[in-house]
Amino acid sequence: MGKKRKHSETQAVEPKKKDEGAPERPKRTLMGWKDKEEVQTQTDSNPESPQFFRNKEKVMVTCSRRINYRYRHLMLNLVSLLPHCKKDNKVESRSSKGATLNELIELRGCSSALFFECRKHQDLYMWMARCPNGPSVKFLVNAVHTMEELKLTGNHLKGSRPLLTFSSNFEKDAHWKLLKEMIIQIFGTPKEHRKSKPYHDHVFVFSIVDDHIWFRNYQISVPHNESDKMVRGGLDKMTLVEVGPRFCLNPIKIFAGSFGGPTLYENPFYVSPNQIRALEKRKKAGKYAKKVKAKTRRKMHEQSNPLEPDEFADMWRE
Amino acid sequence: MGPRSKDLSLLQVENNVEDDADDVIDDASEEEESESEQEDVKLMEPSKTAIYNREGLVEKLEDISWPENVDWMHKLCLDIDQEKEVDVNDDLARELAFYTQALEGTRLAFDKFQSMGLPFLRPPDYYAEMVKTDAHMQKVKGKLLAQKRQIEEAEERRKAREAKRIAKEVQAEKLKERAKQKKQEIEEVKKWRKQRQQSGFKDGKDSMPDLGFEDGKAFERSSKKRPGVSPGDRSGGKAKQGGGKGNNKNKKNREFRDSKFGFGGKKGMKKQNTAETTNDFRAFNKGGAAGNKKRKR
Repeated sequence: MGKKRKHSETQAVEPKKKDEGAPERPKRTLMGWKDKEEVQTQTDSNPESPQFFRNKEKVMVTCSRRINYRYRHLMLNLVSLLPHCKKDNKVESRSSKGATLNELIELRGCSSALFFECRKHQDLYMWMARCPNGPSVKFLVNAVHTMEELKLTGNHLKGSRPLLTFSSNFEKDAHWKLLKEMIIQIFGTPKEHRKSKPYHDHVFVFSIVDDHIWFRNYQISVPHNESDKMVRGGLDKMTLVEVGPRFCLNPIKIFAGSFGGPTLYENPFYVSPNQIRALEKRKKAGKYAKKVKAKTRRKMHEQSNPLEPDEFADMWRE
Repeated sequence: MGPRSKDLSLLQVENNVEDDADDVIDDASEEEESESEQEDVKLMEPSKTAIYNREGLVEKLEDISWPENVDWMHKLCLDIDQEKEVDVNDDLARELAFYTQALEGTRLAFDKFQSMGLPFLRPPDYYAEMVKTDAHMQKVKGKLLAQKRQIEEAEERRKAREAKRIAKEVQAEKLKERAKQKKQEIEEVKKWRKQRQQSGFKDGKDSMPDLGFEDGKAFERSSKKRPGVSPGDRSGGKAKQGGGKGNNKNKKNREFRDSKFGFGGKKGMKKQNTAETTNDFRAFNKGGAAGNKKRKR
């Protein structure tokens, strides 16, 4: 479906692509029918015309079995935020996960996927993958707040195109740049999508703090009497209300293939939640042993340094 | 193992050697850990086994990215400069940073849209399906109103408490004032009497002290209005009240006793044995246990 477009081949591939995207019939003018060659020459003359670029991105959203209620609601929230996504059934298999998922994506005809994997009913991992042979990223998701929380009071049109804002440290490193590109393609609604609404009334915030990607979704609200197209003074009174959901992504690994393949990047600071829990347990486990040790040490110490007999020991004896 | 090692060497352009899980665990247990969030711990020193294949990353980026000349309208992405480092654990500062980033982005986008002449904000009469249902928004509204009411009530309670305290102080002040006045007047009278004694009771009007009670005002009623209350009314005007819902005689009895013995009755004339009060049976049970209770019926 989506032919992989290499950067160097843009010029050569573009005209051919335009033919497929352009209307099949030759243009009709007063003089007769314009031939296809004429159309081609016309468009050839400005080879950099971007109007024939169509964003045909489709995202498949699935989850694993035994997912938590909170994470399931997060997934459903994301489904409602992305009108260009397709929600699929739960994926069962543990082994050969990559192959199954790749097949599923091909089957639904999608170009990207968001896969939510919940382990031990506690930890949520999110995979962001580009289907045919694009890169894939595995994140650990923290600090989840869904849209149903009553503290997040904003609301926006379902399917309106979001404005994506990134903090400037996305340009600092290669892996952040790659992540930024993937995020733009997955979270940005295509322009003339069937289910998209015309106005822009919400903003996504992706920001890197402490090597984590934080996500926020705000509604743009302007006082009503000035919400015209050509608002001038309304710019100052613009406020943002949080719609939700909220989550924080911790990148673990970036793979070259979809759901597998050679590792391109590994987060050096990442500690898996299993290890954290194990360490805590070990700390606690040491408590009793330490106590026993301390007791025996005390005993030895007392034995080796006996106290002098106390003068006043018999004072209160009857 | 031969071809495999070749693969490894091809992949790792940097010097890192592929490691297995045990070493990572050892690393983690050796180093100090800092709690950054719930269940999220970061290693203090970066694990030395991390892979970073920069060229691979750049190559993949070029693979997937859209052609350069794509209109900004397709991407709608904005880069906002983040001036200062935000501490992760300071919630307020962090959220503020996100908010300012979003606001900046919206302003930039707004300018761009205006320059392109495209509609940006939603007009107030555009009704379409929203991401949260109306029922949900009702709940949100209810919660907000409840919060506001709670705050207001707390404010009111606090104000009432303050007012009561102040009123009490003022009352105490007034009482003190009155006592002082009274004492002063008595002293003045004593002084005058002494003076008169000393000068032999012969003076006329000119040495009369200026006493406050000579005006004749004291025999007037106090200015506090108690309409509907006659002077001889021991109940303080509350006996005539009543009716309404509980019209039984118990209520009447209760009310009468309240007005006679409770607070709010007319001062000073509470217990008087006059002709009226002798035949006043309002407080007694009518037709109740008539006669001797001990006699068997």
